[in-house]
Amino acid sequence: MSRYRKIVSKLVASLLLTAVFSINNNVLAADGEALFKANCASCHKVDKDFTGPALQGWKDRVPEGDWIYQWMASPAKMIDTDPYSQELFKKWGPTKMTAFASMPKEEIDAIFKYVDEYKPAGSGDGSAVAAPAEDQSTLWYGILTLIFALIGFVLLQVNSNLRKLSDEKEGIKRGEPVPFYRNKTYLMTAILVLFAIGGYWTINGAIGLGRHQNYEPVQPIFYSHKVHAGINQISCLYCHGGAQDSKHAGIPSVNVCMNCHMAVKEYTGEKLVRPDGTEVNGTAEIQKLYSYAGWDPNGGPEGKGGYNPDKNGDGVPDGARPIEWVKIHNLPDHVYFNHSQHVKVGKQQCQTCHGNIQDMAEVKQFADLSMGWCINCHRQTKVDFNADGKGNRFYSIYEKFHQDMKNGKMDSVTVEHIGGTECQKCHY
Amino acid sequence: MYKFSAIAIIVLIAFSSCGDNRTPGRVYAPDMAYSRTYEAYDLLDSTKFTGDVLDKGGDKIYFNAQPVPGTIKRGDEFPYTLPHDSVGYKLSASVANPFVGMSSVEMMEAARLYNINCGVCHGEKGKANGPMSGKVGGIVDLTLPAYVTMADGTMFHSITYGKNNMGSYASQLTRKQRWQIIKYVRTLQGGVKPATDSTAKAAPAVDSATTTKN
Repeated sequence: MSRYRKIVSKLVASLLLTAVFSINNNVLAADGEALFKANCASCHKVDKDFTGPALQGWKDRVPEGDWIYQWMASPAKMIDTDPYSQELFKKWGPTKMTAFASMPKEEIDAIFKYVDEYKPAGSGDGSAVAAPAEDQSTLWYGILTLIFALIGFVLLQVNSNLRKLSDEKEGIKRGEPVPFYRNKTYLMTAILVLFAIGGYWTINGAIGLGRHQNYEPVQPIFYSHKVHAGINQISCLYCHGGAQDSKHAGIPSVNVCMNCHMAVKEYTGEKLVRPDGTEVNGTAEIQKLYSYAGWDPNGGPEGKGGYNPDKNGDGVPDGARPIEWVKIHNLPDHVYFNHSQHVKVGKQQCQTCHGNIQDMAEVKQFADLSMGWCINCHRQTKVDFNADGKGNRFYSIYEKFHQDMKNGKMDSVTVEHIGGTECQKCHY
Repeated sequence: MYKFSAIAIIVLIAFSSCGDNRTPGRVYAPDMAYSRTYEAYDLLDSTKFTGDVLDKGGDKIYFNAQPVPGTIKRGDEFPYTLPHDSVGYKLSASVANPFVGMSSVEMMEAARLYNINCGVCHGEKGKANGPMSGKVGGIVDLTLPAYVTMADGTMFHSITYGKNNMGSYASQLTRKQRWQIIKYVRTLQGGVKPATDSTAKAAPAVDSATTTKN
């Protein structure tokens, strides 16, 4: 027995040891990933060139020995002395890599261990999630109604035939029955039904005149709000900053697009599809933006992109021109709408009126922008007057007047008290 | 049969009025629906009366939000005069932030603007891990020592003119907002006192134009 016990205990011990080691390994690898993400990921990708070179395969490229540690400690110093570093700088400059002088050797090792063992997680392109089964209940109801109508019709015919038979048997003479398409009851019913349907469509069409709900024009560039506001989580106000300051939300000028697109030169996300099923080449759409901006992705002093020179002297890069986006939401001249009142003061979300923009590949008009629609929201939305610093404090001055009158500090409120002598009241 | 065809035609007309959603559809009174006043981005040329959306007419109005040269918006700071070159970058460290103490309301507003305009790349906590950081690339971690010691003026210079992969934010943020956002970034850096004025060091590792102490 004692022999077995020894073997068992040895086995257990070795198992434990392996477990400990493998756990340790995992910890190291995980650390490598975390370190990579914290320190390197903003400029390097493991398997793709980014702001800096792809890191995978580094061993085959860099000089042997502890070059990598020296480089990490001080890229600037290496660029001054080492020929391979100078070559790197020539290719990837003019920005030098940030120095990581205080990073311990173990952490550097962990990062490169992670890089060597990295495998891309699944091929990125969507073996797309199956489209959710459409709600087919309407179709079934329609089919059922048709079947019942058919049964009813057949029964009516059978009924009339039976009556004819029984009439013949009992010797009652009746006139030749009129066919159903000349039967006045049928005709009247059909006319009434058509009238109801026609009336419904006509009235709806007439109400919809000038409302343009679901208007989804073709834009000069296939700009997807789903990609920008949904997937990339860019705030609406990043581009449409006017919504918090002015009447117009504003369509961003091309320089705002270029803030990101100087660096984002190709589209690699999931497929972009138009409503008619044709596919959109995202990278080609970004190229269109470059032509509007007068920006050359291979131009500039280092060939990494730059604005075209202004040879014709009009103050903007040659070829730069505004993008003629098609305006979707139009209000007639007799309606005043101010974005900042709703966004800044009313604290409304953009989606309240514009729908789930972050899910729209192409923007369409979500609400009908009718007067009834506006009024409904104004009836239901509660205003936060709280004077505790969170609300809009709009009536705080009136509250003060009420208090003062109660306490006898003033006996009446004049027009001047409520802003009647402000210049703009008359001179606007 | 005449009756039937009449009804059929009415129904057809009713159906055809709801056309495809790629065109804006019809309106009752084009002179009210399409403004005659000057409106930005308007569908139709506002100087010309027409109901035809394809007839766009002359130049429409486009703008970017940069102030007109030589003007100052009411309530905004004086214009920043240093030029967009390596000399201007070097000198920028000597420009002091005009906002020394900020109220909590102002700070909340600065935080909101930071999250809208900067957080998308630099991350909510300034750690270079915003949703776009993996796509734009070269995003700096604002909590690194190089940026903690960077002068407010140098940051302002970079936000105003852009730096490396970052574009200019002069059209999106007023000068006041830019200075206040820098104050907010200081709170993300853990309240470490930045070097200011002429004693400042410009960021050593970031700048290719090898700035020296000045």
